[in-house]
Amino acid sequence: MSEKTARAVRAASADPARRVQAPQSAQRRNTRSAPKKKKKFKFFDIGLGLDMPFCLLVLVLLTVGIIMMFSASYPIAYAETGDSYYYLKRQIIFAVIGIGAMIGLSFVNYRIFYRFAKLLLAISYGALILVLFLPGVNGVHRWIGFTSFNIQASEITKFCIIVFFAYWGTKYADKMKYMKYSFIPGMAIFGTTAILLILEPHFSCTVIVFLLVLVMLFISGMDTKYFVLIGILVGAAVLIMWATGLLGYAMDRMDGWGKALEYTTSEMWQTTWQTRNSLYAIGSGGLTGLGLGQSRQKYLYLPEPQNDFVFAIVCEELGLIGAMLILVLFALLVWRGITMSRKASDTFGKLLGIGLTAQVGLQVILNIFVITDWLPNTGISLPFFSYGGSSLIMLLAQMGVILSVSRSAKIEKR
Amino acid sequence: MAQGVNQKLNKRAALLLLIILVLGFGAAILRLGWLQLVDASELQKRAVDQQLSDTELSAKRGTIYDTNGKILAASASVWKVVLAPVYFDNDEERHIVAKGLSSILDVDENVIFEKAQQESYYVEVKRQIESDKREEVIEFIDQLAEVHEIYSTVYLLDDYKRYYPYGSLASSVIGFTGADEQGLAGLEYQYDEVLTGTPGRLVTAVDSLGTAMPFEYSQNIPAGDGSNLVLTIDETIQSIAEKYMLQGIEDHAVFNRGVCIIMDVNTGAVRAMASVGGFDLNDPFTLTAEKEAEIKKLPEKDRADARYEALSNMWRNKAVSDTYYPGSVFKMCTAAMALEEGLVNENSTFYCSGAYTVADTTLGCHVQTYGGSHGTQNLREAIKNSCNPALMQIGELLGIDLFNQYYDAFGFSERTGIDLPGEADDIYFDRDTMGEVHLATASFGQNFAITPIQMATAVASIANGGYLVQPHMVERIEDSKGNVISTTSTEVKRQVLSEETTAIICDILEENAVSGSGSNGYVAGYRVAGKTGTSEKKVDLNEDGVQDYIASFCGFAPAEDAEVVCLVFFDTPTGAAYYGSQVAAPVFAKIMSEVLPYLEIATQYTQEELEALDTTADTYIGMTVEEAERAAEQGGFTTWVKGEGDKVVAQMPEAGTKIPQGGNVVLYTDGDSIMDTTTVPNLIGYSVSDVLYFATYYDLNVSISGMSNSALSTSYSQSIPEGTEVAPGTVITVTFSAGGGTD
Repeated sequence: MSEKTARAVRAASADPARRVQAPQSAQRRNTRSAPKKKKKFKFFDIGLGLDMPFCLLVLVLLTVGIIMMFSASYPIAYAETGDSYYYLKRQIIFAVIGIGAMIGLSFVNYRIFYRFAKLLLAISYGALILVLFLPGVNGVHRWIGFTSFNIQASEITKFCIIVFFAYWGTKYADKMKYMKYSFIPGMAIFGTTAILLILEPHFSCTVIVFLLVLVMLFISGMDTKYFVLIGILVGAAVLIMWATGLLGYAMDRMDGWGKALEYTTSEMWQTTWQTRNSLYAIGSGGLTGLGLGQSRQKYLYLPEPQNDFVFAIVCEELGLIGAMLILVLFALLVWRGITMSRKASDTFGKLLGIGLTAQVGLQVILNIFVITDWLPNTGISLPFFSYGGSSLIMLLAQMGVILSVSRSAKIEKR
Repeated sequence: MAQGVNQKLNKRAALLLLIILVLGFGAAILRLGWLQLVDASELQKRAVDQQLSDTELSAKRGTIYDTNGKILAASASVWKVVLAPVYFDNDEERHIVAKGLSSILDVDENVIFEKAQQESYYVEVKRQIESDKREEVIEFIDQLAEVHEIYSTVYLLDDYKRYYPYGSLASSVIGFTGADEQGLAGLEYQYDEVLTGTPGRLVTAVDSLGTAMPFEYSQNIPAGDGSNLVLTIDETIQSIAEKYMLQGIEDHAVFNRGVCIIMDVNTGAVRAMASVGGFDLNDPFTLTAEKEAEIKKLPEKDRADARYEALSNMWRNKAVSDTYYPGSVFKMCTAAMALEEGLVNENSTFYCSGAYTVADTTLGCHVQTYGGSHGTQNLREAIKNSCNPALMQIGELLGIDLFNQYYDAFGFSERTGIDLPGEADDIYFDRDTMGEVHLATASFGQNFAITPIQMATAVASIANGGYLVQPHMVERIEDSKGNVISTTSTEVKRQVLSEETTAIICDILEENAVSGSGSNGYVAGYRVAGKTGTSEKKVDLNEDGVQDYIASFCGFAPAEDAEVVCLVFFDTPTGAAYYGSQVAAPVFAKIMSEVLPYLEIATQYTQEELEALDTTADTYIGMTVEEAERAAEQGGFTTWVKGEGDKVVAQMPEAGTKIPQGGNVVLYTDGDSIMDTTTVPNLIGYSVSDVLYFATYYDLNVSISGMSNSALSTSYSQSIPEGTEVAPGTVITVTFSAGGGTD
């Protein structure tokens, strides 16, 4: 065999499609010749069935989350609206819609997103640009409103980014080791998205998007040396932004970062008020907590206890034991989501499932770092717990997508 | 190749899971654990601090009453201005409030601003503001809300302020309180804990707007009002003492104030204790104008010290905090010791050549100054002469050990333990090196220093039959509702002398007060016993080397069954006279002449005294009206004629009755008029002129007793009760006290 032919053969055998096909084609042709011949896309697909452990974990977390959100929110709800159940009622409605979306999407063949991945990325950019031209709240442009229902543009973005990179990682699975298929598109998409997010501004989402891009590139198989490179670049970027004061809004919020318990000026006292009272709440809980509903910090000391800082109230009421139990539930969800997705029938499903699950895990971790003053107070909500219609519905919809992935996974599901 | 990709994906997914679970969740749990276990108590404390609105409720300080229930010190309701700085939103608001309050309350704006920066619900800005300031603050609070939309940052709470209705009366005894009503001097300091009570607290769990949280997190600990003190001090007696002490200080240009102690000899209850001149308890930090002028002359840097010294001197309760050489007053103690030990008797004789030599040291007698001597005297004469050589001889008879033993027994070597702050210790000889000369000088009361209260207590033991009693100021302590918490009972420390000895001493002292060196202390109508004292203040000679003296007199009455002892003491009289007999004794006599009737101690007038004192009505019966009127006017009376007859058929008061000088005699001229009676009106609570007016109006005679010489004097008792039917012209004794009501 000449040098040339040998290379041609090697090249041919390197083709994954051909290689997979070659040895197994004879056996499969007999049993499943029809689907093989014409692989027809099914929009609705029950597949191998729903992953019940994951589904149950979602429902348990959602239930606990709503109860705790109610406990944390009723004083402020009463103070603001005169109706202690204001947030509870609305959250339940969102949860019902969300569960509907989750169940619905679990039946939808997740591969549909593969087809629309590029479109979704375009939608993400569109939403991020559109939101900048919509009237903001206190100069912050985050919401796309439909009169009574608003959705954060960043919620769309996070989902779209995961879908896009799952698509990309599948399509160029064997080329991910090359810079121009992994590092360059990854950084390009993150960079442009980050610019739009910072313009909103929405610093915390920028961080999450960054971490999600890293996660997606990581599981897609990007070479380790590029992570090192990213690390160096991030360090440099932060330095530059710091020096030029570009951090602006985020810097404002970072002023009191890690110093919430120190009293310096009254302005600082005000800036760090939320974080400080979060720490008071967490510390007050101790090991066993003050008891469900017994939080004192929720009596208007901790601002917006129903949102990002809901877990501080959870810590105060349920103590370290309760908080750890909830974290264990989240950990189980992440574990189940990732291990189950690993068994998905195709690369796209795996990447999509792992990415969406990782997003939940990252938000939980970052949220706890924020409420414990380890990260600047930049607005990261706690999945299933924090109040908010669009984010809860979006979250449950994403859980639906993961469940859809689970239908293709070859794993024990009872 | 695809297999490789999938393997890598699986591996990396597992790694990702590990990173998220171990690094992410692990770190989160560690962080929460740290906060909830290690930092928990500190965070919890800080949370509770902000959640609890803790308001202090002032307790009302107890009232101080005199023995008759007159208020000597009381707290009245005022207000305090308090900030709740947590409700400030920014420094601009703080500045508005600081500026506004500063102009109303006269407190430095920066001080208020600093207080407004604290993270608290309760910061006091000013205490004890009166109602006019309160109105202004309320107006300001309204203005804050309406104009500046600043809410809940300033509020008013109840507070109390101390008032002293009698001003300077017994000032060094009662003492005063500071800005926070804490006792700073005198009984206010001594009984601070009793008077203070316990401030209450209102602890409520509040949300960040200050509204109570909707669960059982509120605790109201009511303020426990302070207990009241009922003193043994009698305001009337105190007033009498201070009046004459002040007069004595003026008359004799006394440089360093004077002391008067009047004490019940049997119980040790102090009826009056004056360190004159005192100060206005309502304004204890203001010096007299002269003192201020004096300080102003000093260089700037010395003024603060001088001011402080002047104030402490002014506040000083000399009766317990000063020591002095008791001088001749002490001689009664030396004599009593020797009598008690049987070393001398009334007939023992002592020779005075004008001086006496002990161990090569010759000490003079006061007669020596005039070149005289007392010659041979018995014990009685020696004391009446206040003869130093005689006392030195008695001292020799006693010897150092016995003398010291009695010195201790009389209580001079220990504090009396009176319930007043700042009691001084005696200054005595070093007992190991105490020699004959020391004993000789000590036997007539020189060269050792004791406190006035020690002297008064020792004299009381002679007066009461030999028992050393515990002097005390507080009769009983009552709670705020008037229930008695504790009563001070008489505490006899020990018997120092036998009654036989004291009887002899009392008899000698009584004679002394009538015809001896103490005769200026004589009080007509009462059997007074007493001894003068003139002691040298050798310790601190004036710059010009002139000796300063303390003129004192200590006596008691009635002599044979004493009730009260009275010590009068003037520190450094700078007038011509400085002897105890010239300076202190007359003041003693004046004080006792008012105090003894007030105490209703029976008079025991001698025949001559009676004649000198009151005029007796002659009989006018049988005379014509004109004759009778002329005769009565000659006797110094005014007459009222009743009835239509020409001749006097009866008179009131009857012949032989004592009538106050200038009194009225009612002459009855017919039988019918005798039947007339008049109803005794209420004569209590009026001034002297009012009482005299009523007496005339109701055809009565009034004998005025007590402190009637002040425009503020008020009558407090009448000998015949209101409503009694009496004949016109009947003599009613009305007793007066110095100003001030009995509320």
